[in-house]
Amino acid sequence: MRERRCTAAVVLSLRGGSYRYPGAALDSLQDVSLELPEGSITGLLGAAESGLSTLCLVLGGLAPRVIGGELRGTLSIDGQDVREWPMHRLSESVVLSVGQPAGQLSMVAATVYEEVAFGPANLGLPRGEVMARTEQALDRLAITGLAGRDPRRLSGGQQQLVVLAGLLAMRPRHLILDGPVSHLDAGTTERVLGTLLDMAAAGAGVLVAERRTTPLLGISSNVVVMAAGRVRAVGSAEAVLADPALLALGIEEPPVLRTRRLLAEAGLGLDHEDLR
Amino acid sequence: MKPNLGADHALPPGVAVRGPTAWHRLDPLTKLTLSVATVVAVVTLGGVSLPALLGMLAVLLPAATAGVLPRVLHISLLLALPLAVSVAVVNILFTPTGSDVVAELGPLRLTSEGVRLAAEVVVRVLVMAGAVTLYYLTTRPDELVASLQAHGAPARLTFVIHGAVAMIPRLAERAAAVTEAQRARGLDSEGSLLQRVRGVSAVAAPTVSGAIAEVEQRTLALEVRGFSRPGRHTLLWAPQDSPAQRIVRWCIIAFVALLVVVRLTGWASPW
Amino acid sequence: MELRLESVSFDYPAGPRALDAVDLVVRGGETVAVIGANGSGKTTLLRHLNGLLRPAAGRVLLDGADGSSMTVARMAMCVGLAFQDPDAQIFAARVSEEVGFGARNAGASGRHLEAIVAQALDDVGLRGSLDTHPGDLGTSARKLLTIAAVLAMRTPIVALDEPTVGLDASAMARIETLIRSLAAEGRSVLAVSHDLRFVAETFSRVVLLDGGRVALDGPPEDVFDEAAWPRLRASGLEPPPAARLGARLGLGSTPTDAALLVAWQRTSGV
Repeated sequence: MRERRCTAAVVLSLRGGSYRYPGAALDSLQDVSLELPEGSITGLLGAAESGLSTLCLVLGGLAPRVIGGELRGTLSIDGQDVREWPMHRLSESVVLSVGQPAGQLSMVAATVYEEVAFGPANLGLPRGEVMARTEQALDRLAITGLAGRDPRRLSGGQQQLVVLAGLLAMRPRHLILDGPVSHLDAGTTERVLGTLLDMAAAGAGVLVAERRTTPLLGISSNVVVMAAGRVRAVGSAEAVLADPALLALGIEEPPVLRTRRLLAEAGLGLDHEDLR
Repeated sequence: MKPNLGADHALPPGVAVRGPTAWHRLDPLTKLTLSVATVVAVVTLGGVSLPALLGMLAVLLPAATAGVLPRVLHISLLLALPLAVSVAVVNILFTPTGSDVVAELGPLRLTSEGVRLAAEVVVRVLVMAGAVTLYYLTTRPDELVASLQAHGAPARLTFVIHGAVAMIPRLAERAAAVTEAQRARGLDSEGSLLQRVRGVSAVAAPTVSGAIAEVEQRTLALEVRGFSRPGRHTLLWAPQDSPAQRIVRWCIIAFVALLVVVRLTGWASPW
Repeated sequence: MELRLESVSFDYPAGPRALDAVDLVVRGGETVAVIGANGSGKTTLLRHLNGLLRPAAGRVLLDGADGSSMTVARMAMCVGLAFQDPDAQIFAARVSEEVGFGARNAGASGRHLEAIVAQALDDVGLRGSLDTHPGDLGTSARKLLTIAAVLAMRTPIVALDEPTVGLDASAMARIETLIRSLAAEGRSVLAVSHDLRFVAETFSRVVLLDGGRVALDGPPEDVFDEAAWPRLRASGLEPPPAARLGARLGLGSTPTDAALLVAWQRTSGV
């Protein structure tokens, strides 16, 4: 279901990115390079204070545009330097979700429908187009039944789905998600991850940053590991997550892989099938 | 729901629901103008009877037609009474000028001037609280934003205004959350009056700073969704304004402006 | 200290029964995890432990004393509760103040207070952040801060709402260790969690709430045994990976990796 494009793949790319928060003495990101191709999901892993969230803010354009601070290096979309692009122009290509869903609601929408329509409406699209995108996004996340509800009265899991729908409605090429499933229960997590897979299949480039490895296992094609503001490992999910050196970086060993390792050490060899 | 690109596609049921009464359905600007004007007017007017009359006309009557009278009374009394009473007490007991002594309590003298001053304060505070409460109970924040945008205000400005307006209930919610967290860690707010007062002061600073932090966080999320984009933002719907309401708004503004001028220049006799 | 809920029921004004005749006894040194679907009454239950909510029927007893005769402040000296959302409870301008608040209310002051605060921060691994503004801490650290703030009260019962949400791997390992050491000291820990692997590894007892009622109450090997899986799945919960693997290999109930290994070694005659 991947869209065929005549043009080259739209790639969001950061080269040599170093970022310092306003008033900070040290860089929070040091010489970070990362490419986010479209039609894929990249996992971003890091312990606390690893620069994970900062990198998300930089990729999403909020740093330095809205937050201030100093960014060195180049952020580009499809080869074009976007340093001079104002936030609203960047938002047409890249959207970012960070923090708890309740903190991302506009508080200006009486219903979920209006909340999801908020983004497209801000882009000044014709009314019909705004509604079409809204309804499609609600449908995609299977929350059409929540359209008339007050977003503030929903559970955390439902709010997360609403926030995602709101971002989806902007039809971004790239989605940067910082901790989208960390506060969700197993069922809602599955639903969110499933949606991300659909979006990648439809051509979006998705970055999922998490502090726990399990959510990333099934969905990422590539994984980037950060520690102390630098990229420490890049590679396929299997390769990176099975590396015992991860533990030293403060990253959790995926429980499934841990079990396999312990059993292997005890002399029991099991293949992948048994471990699902 | 299949996507439909037609421009006359109707919004689904439950979305953009109008208010239950005619008062609710007035343009938010009209309701806001009335509330703000009432607050300004009641500060300007002297005496007890005129502010009380204003309160009845501009607060109680609309509240009754909107079916929210009990709640307006309840909330404004809750908000205003403690403050009003404490100010009144201070006035009663410590008004230096006053010759017509009504009662004596040791070194403290209760004068009729003091009593009247106190009554003025109480009525003022109550009417102000009532006007503000009436607005909040009959107007949703999104209605105000839509109205401002429909009248051509730039999107960014509407959000600043909305932020200010929405902050107040949010502050209340946040105060409740902080209080609960503090109680769970031993803050005793159920005891004597003194303890309750301590409880309130322990909550004030964190409530405000937390609310501000929340606004900062939310602004980031809003930026991502293009809220500061210059130019026209699409409106899915807007409250119904009318020429009649426009006229009424300007009349109210003119009336209050006149009131303020009269008061400031001392043109009419003090009432 | 013994915590006892006797037939506790509770209704929210606009909703169905949130708690329905819940009976629960937690003794000193026990670690109890409360699991269940969203809306099953878990958080409501926690709020009854320190009196923030009062039962519509039934009693909450702390060492035999009826909670209904105690203020929240008084009950909080026995049950320290950390809420789920750090941003809804952190209010001080400095980490040391935040952690010290509860301890001060419990009567500590001066050097003693400083020592308690330092110890609590050490327990969660935030020693270096004493003078930091909580807003400058990352997600994981803020969560740890809320736990430290409760630890500093030195309550006999510690109640945690989703203690691992938002934590990174090392922080989570810290919390697991912390809970075990609290139990070793004779204190009891009650935690609501949807992370069943964490639950199986850390707690000696698991309580499943379903529709406000206690559906299961027992050690992990019983609650995560294959026989109970339909019950768990009906609540939208998946058994921990070790339990699933153990069942697939025919090793009986193995809620944790350690149990899995032991069972394997036993059956293979190693």
